[in-house]
Amino acid sequence: MRLNPLLILLCALLATVGLTGCGSGTMDAKQGAEQKILLVGNGADPRFMDPQLVNSTSEHHLMIALFEGLVAEHPSRDAEVEAGVAERWDTNSDKSVWTFHLRPTAEWSDGVPVTADDFVWSWRRMLTKSLAAEYSQMLFALKNGEAFYEGKVDGEQLGVKAIDPKTLEVTLVGPTPHFLLMILHTSWWPVPRHCIEKYGDALDRVNPWTQEGKMVGNGAFTLKRNLFRQVIEVEKNPRYWDAANVKINGVRFYPIDSDSTEERLFRRGMLHITTVVPLDKIPAYRKNHPDIYHQDPNTAVYFYRINTERPALKDIRVRKALAYAIDRQSLVTNITRAGQTPAGGIVPGMEGYPASTVFNFDPAKAQALLAEAGYPGGKDFPKFEILINTSEAHRAIAEVMQQMWQKHLGIKVGILNQDFGVYLDSMSRIDYDIMRGGWNADYLDPATFIDMWTTGNGNNNTHWSNPKFDQLVKDATQEGDGAKRFAILRQAEEVFLSEVPAIPVYFYTRSHLVHPAVKEWHPKLLDVHPWKHYELLSPPPASSMDASWNK
Amino acid sequence: MTAAASAIPASLPRGRSLGQDAWARLRKNKLAMVCGVVLIAIFLMCYLGPLFCTYRLDAQDLELKATPPSAAHWFGTDEAGRDQLVRVLSGGRVSLNVGLLATAVSLIIGVAYGATAGYLGGRTDSVMMRFVDVLYSLPFMVFVILLTVAFGRSMWLLYLAIGAVEWLTMARIVRAGVQAQARMEFVEAARSLGLSNSRIIFRHIVPNVLGPVIVYTTLTVPAVMLLEAALSFLGLGVQPPNSSWGSLIDQGAKSMETYPWLLVIPAAFFSVTLFCLNFVGDGLRDAIDVRSGKD
Repeated sequence: MRLNPLLILLCALLATVGLTGCGSGTMDAKQGAEQKILLVGNGADPRFMDPQLVNSTSEHHLMIALFEGLVAEHPSRDAEVEAGVAERWDTNSDKSVWTFHLRPTAEWSDGVPVTADDFVWSWRRMLTKSLAAEYSQMLFALKNGEAFYEGKVDGEQLGVKAIDPKTLEVTLVGPTPHFLLMILHTSWWPVPRHCIEKYGDALDRVNPWTQEGKMVGNGAFTLKRNLFRQVIEVEKNPRYWDAANVKINGVRFYPIDSDSTEERLFRRGMLHITTVVPLDKIPAYRKNHPDIYHQDPNTAVYFYRINTERPALKDIRVRKALAYAIDRQSLVTNITRAGQTPAGGIVPGMEGYPASTVFNFDPAKAQALLAEAGYPGGKDFPKFEILINTSEAHRAIAEVMQQMWQKHLGIKVGILNQDFGVYLDSMSRIDYDIMRGGWNADYLDPATFIDMWTTGNGNNNTHWSNPKFDQLVKDATQEGDGAKRFAILRQAEEVFLSEVPAIPVYFYTRSHLVHPAVKEWHPKLLDVHPWKHYELLSPPPASSMDASWNK
Repeated sequence: MTAAASAIPASLPRGRSLGQDAWARLRKNKLAMVCGVVLIAIFLMCYLGPLFCTYRLDAQDLELKATPPSAAHWFGTDEAGRDQLVRVLSGGRVSLNVGLLATAVSLIIGVAYGATAGYLGGRTDSVMMRFVDVLYSLPFMVFVILLTVAFGRSMWLLYLAIGAVEWLTMARIVRAGVQAQARMEFVEAARSLGLSNSRIIFRHIVPNVLGPVIVYTTLTVPAVMLLEAALSFLGLGVQPPNSSWGSLIDQGAKSMETYPWLLVIPAAFFSVTLFCLNFVGDGLRDAIDVRSGKD
């Protein structure tokens, strides 16, 4: 066999520049605006399309199109909700019993009405151990939720009752003033019993009911096409109760896990909204395209989860040493560069709950802790790996961590890169040493960042367990007074930080590129933008990017 | 006797070995010679250069960030403020190591396997070559990825894994050559002397098929380097903070508009090396294989 040298040269050049392209879409942003189809980048392909099984932001973006809970996300305000399946609701004086009146017009996309029984059935399903939903514990807020999960009581005693087909009564373990914000989360949404049972066992995680052509939802959109690795397309649901006010005809979600590919697509005029902006491009966009670049605060924390059963990492002193050896300020100003703030604690600052400042950069303390643990100067420290999912930003951050730990502690660390689905599997199986994690608030309350670390919680995934912490979290659910409740949560956070099962790194901001054709895009602290409120302007207004779009 | 001795004129040209012949022909091939010199220069730079660099491979200077080539950093710095010169040079060391080691692995397996099949012939030959056919039909990249997954992500195993899939063509070439040689009289003679099969194969036959083997080897090196680049591009090759040309090109391509030097420099090194290796390989083929003549 003889290889033509020129051919090889050509291949080398193609390999260097050619592999960065991507599949061509059939619609660009202008055509999208004309046909009222929103084109959005959506990070990764979903693992699940079942609202009770999803646990990533990209899956959440799909869920808010396809399903709807009792109440719905407000388009612009953070601490408010809109009416969803429930048209109105009442609560008792201490906010521990809530009654929801479902709207008569609420129906599934196949015409079957959404009833209170759907909610009762769905919440029982969510609280069934064998479904192994990561978010089961969120429904422990229901009276007897935990007991039902453990199989100690039957469904009749669970704190959710259908008074009649359109009235749902919910009894909680304690006063919960933020309950409406809490049920914005997908784990509280109804799932179509009649559809799920048609295609298989209700507790089968791979039940095919969520496939295209089979799925039935109750959201503003229905699933039209699901092409793995290419696009997920949803179209307007004519049976949706508020369909008259839905101004776009559909959304196309593109699973693009490379930041730079997504940005390039946007620059070619193929997307309306991106999920992120590549780190290296942020300064230029901020300067040259202020009308396109959106940078908003986001109640979310970036952290490094630790497998607390791995040798060396078992030792609290080692975990603390790792936490103190990170120069967070330098990381956010030089690498992430979008206005993130260093995270001294695991809960981002919120009204009435300022962020903790336990972890600062203190290499001397870190070295002392490491020496105390028996690894002076990093001597004999077992090699471990940082697990990240594919993304230039996570990789850049991991390389900085790697270098900081090497420099300040003398510890050698590897970096292991996995595809998002594989990465989530490794997380569920707790098969990692240290892994990058991010937690976006499920509802605007400190508890969303604290609950997840209780013993055996589906989102804990660190083997960490502390009875005192569990008790504090439980106490908080019984406390009706806002300030006292925050004080208890603060104590819980301090217990958490004293044992660091996860190292807080920074508090997020969200950067998006948004096409000028998109109207009604508002910054939201939780970065959840309900699709039903969007509008698309055709032709799009002039913008600073027109030069590259009109080429 | 003395007459016979004096019959050899002092001026008679000395006999030239095959190797000397080949070298003379190679020297006349200007392109191959220039490429050879460039290659040696690149090898020296990559293997010795990092020793003289002021910066360490993984030393970051976060404040500095990405800077274009300058007097302090000849090849510029990347986004974490790491010196690109030392990263490109030590990246080259990894890429060249992969090229050489994986080729050596493929050479050893391929020659031994092909020669055995070709010499023994018959049913053994059929079985052995069908096995090669089966491996050939496996998607190449998937096979390497599976091997890396099974072996773990050690650099040495990556070399072996690439080598282990690169020997197939080599085995076929050697087998064909050996089959032709096996019918020659000198093999019969060796056999009649009672030499063992392995001695006949490796002592008497293999040296005669060395020409095509050497040539194919030089062509395997660039193919292997391309494969390593592709694997690193996919994130299966070298792990950070280490670099290879493939991984540098992968990262450079992602920010090529903002920081073009991160892509252009490693890509230039990589392309020039492949280019040179191919021309040297071509030159060697012409020089060694007398029968191939000009083409």
